[in-house]
Amino acid sequence: MTTPVLTVKGLTKNFGKLCAVNQINLQVNQGEVFGMLGPNGSGKTTTLGMLMGVVNPSAGEFSWFGQQPNHHIRKKIGAVLEHPIFYPYLSGQKNLELNATIKQTDFNNIAKVLDIVELTARKNDAYKTYSLGMKQRLAIASALLNDPTVLILDEPTNGLDPMGIAEIRTIIKRIAADGKTIILASHLLDEVQKVCTHFAILRKGNLVHSGPVDDVGKGEEIVEVIAFHDDLPAHLNQFQGTKEIKKDGQFYLVKMNNGFHSAELNRFLFEKGIVVSHLATQKKSLEKQFLEILAENNTH
Amino acid sequence: MLHLLKIDLKKLTSYRTFWVVCGLYFITLGFTTASGMEFLKWLANKSVEFGANININRIPLYHFPDIWQNVIFVSGFFKLILAFMVVISVTNEFTYRTIRQNIIDGMSRTEFLLSKMLTNVLLSLLSCAMLLIIILVTGFIYSPEIIWSDIFTDAGFMFAYFLEMFSFLSYTLMLGLLIQRSGLTIVVLCLSHMLEAIVKANIDDFAPGIIPFFPMESITNLVEMPFARYAFQEIQDYVSLTSVAIALGWLIIFNYISYLKLQKSDL
Repeated sequence: MTTPVLTVKGLTKNFGKLCAVNQINLQVNQGEVFGMLGPNGSGKTTTLGMLMGVVNPSAGEFSWFGQQPNHHIRKKIGAVLEHPIFYPYLSGQKNLELNATIKQTDFNNIAKVLDIVELTARKNDAYKTYSLGMKQRLAIASALLNDPTVLILDEPTNGLDPMGIAEIRTIIKRIAADGKTIILASHLLDEVQKVCTHFAILRKGNLVHSGPVDDVGKGEEIVEVIAFHDDLPAHLNQFQGTKEIKKDGQFYLVKMNNGFHSAELNRFLFEKGIVVSHLATQKKSLEKQFLEILAENNTH
Repeated sequence: MLHLLKIDLKKLTSYRTFWVVCGLYFITLGFTTASGMEFLKWLANKSVEFGANININRIPLYHFPDIWQNVIFVSGFFKLILAFMVVISVTNEFTYRTIRQNIIDGMSRTEFLLSKMLTNVLLSLLSCAMLLIIILVTGFIYSPEIIWSDIFTDAGFMFAYFLEMFSFLSYTLMLGLLIQRSGLTIVVLCLSHMLEAIVKANIDDFAPGIIPFFPMESITNLVEMPFARYAFQEIQDYVSLTSVAIALGWLIIFNYISYLKLQKSDL
C-alpha cells in the first residue's frame, strides 16, 4: 500500500477557552479530491492552517507523505487559505516571481500557470487592480507554481459570480484529472458533491463524518411515479419492495426497502398492466445528507 | 543566505515607498554630513560676534582623523528615517497578511526573520559605505595637509557605526513584530529615547551604575558627542569596549525576542 498523502492524529487547537479544532483524525490518499465541509466557523481554516504551519497545534500530530512536517515539504504543496494573499503593489508576474523564489522553483513555470488561469494578458498590472475573480485565479496559479502533488484550496469560489464559480470548478476538475490530490474546504455542498471523491464534515471543531462521496446516494431509494390509473396507490402498496408511499403533488413518492430499485418497481407495475408516464429515482443530495448528519449530531 | 536576502529585496525593490524613504534618507544624510563647513560659514555671517571671535577655518571639523567621529556622530540622528522603512516593511507583512502566505508557500519562520535581518545588515552596510565616501571626499577637501598615517587612525568608529545602525534596526524589527501596526510602532519607536530618559532620571538617585546598560543609552554611547573638544573639554574620542559589549548584547536580545515571538504566534 502506498503511503497516505496526509495523516492527521488527534489534532487539536485551543484559542484560550475556545476549542476551535477538537481531536481530529483524518487520512487523505493519493489522487483523492477531498472535500472538507462545515458551517462557517467550524474549524476548517484553522485545521488547514495547522497543516500548513501557520497555526501552532495545541495537541496532536500530522504527517505529510509519511514525514514529519517541515517547510521543505510545504514547498511541494500548493495552498490557498481563506482569501488570496499577495503584495498589492506588485504585479501578478512579480508576485509569482517572489513565490517562485520562496519555493526555489524555476521562473519558467510562471508563464505556464498564468496560461492555465487565463491571466497572461493582465500579468504586468498591479495585483490591487485585479477583480476578485482574477485574484482567486492568481492564487490558484500561485498554488500550481511548483507543480505540486497536493493542492489545498479553501473556499476557492467564495464571493465569485456564477461564471467565475464555473471557471474555477473547471480548473479544479482539470487539475484533478492530472492525478493531483486536492483538499478542498468549502461550505458550498453542491460544489463539493460536483468535484470531490471523498468528504469530511466538521462541526464546532469536531469531525462528525468522513467517507466517499459515492456513498451518499446509497441506502433506501425514493422513486417518483406518475401513472394514469385509479388504483395506483393500492398496486404500489402490493409491491414487496415498498416501504411506504406518499402523495406529493402529481407524484406518488415510493420509499423503497433496502436492495430494491426503480427497475423492479417498473417491471412489477407493467406486469399488472399499468404503464407509467413518469418514473424517476430521487438522488439523495449531499446537502440532505449533510443536514441529516448535522441534525443527528445536534441531538447529542 | 543570499537566497533569503533576495526574497526580501524582491518585496522592496518594486515598492515605491521604499525608494522614496531610502532616497530621502541618503540625500539628507549626505547633504547634512557634507555641509558642516558651509553651516559654520553661514553661522559666522549671521552672527557677527561668532564670526569675529572665531576663525572657523581653525575648527578641524573635517580634518583627518577628527572627521570620523564628527561625521559619524551626526549621522546617528538620521537612523530613525531608515528605521521607519524597516517598520513599514515589517508591518506591511502583517497588514497584507503576506507573512502567513510566505510561510504557507514554504518559508520557515526562522527564514522569514533571517530575510528581514539580512536586509537590516544590508541597509546598515549601505549607510557605512555612504559615510565612507563622504568622509574620504570631504576629508581630502578640508584637511589642510594630508598625513597618510592620520587618515584611517579613527576608522574604528565605522565599526561602531555599523553596530549602532544594526542594533537600532534590530530593535525596530522587534518592535514591528511585536506591535504589528505601523502607526503605533512608529510612535513607540520615536518615544523610546524619551521613555528611557524618564526611567533613567528616576533611577539616577539610587542605581546610577546600571544606566549604561539601558538599550537606547548603550546604542547612543557607541559614538559619543565629539564637539565639546573644540571648547577644550575632555571627550571620549575612542570606542569603548564596554559599550560595544553592551550594544552587542542588546543586538542579540532584540533578535532573539523577534525569533521567540515569530515561533510562538499563530499567523
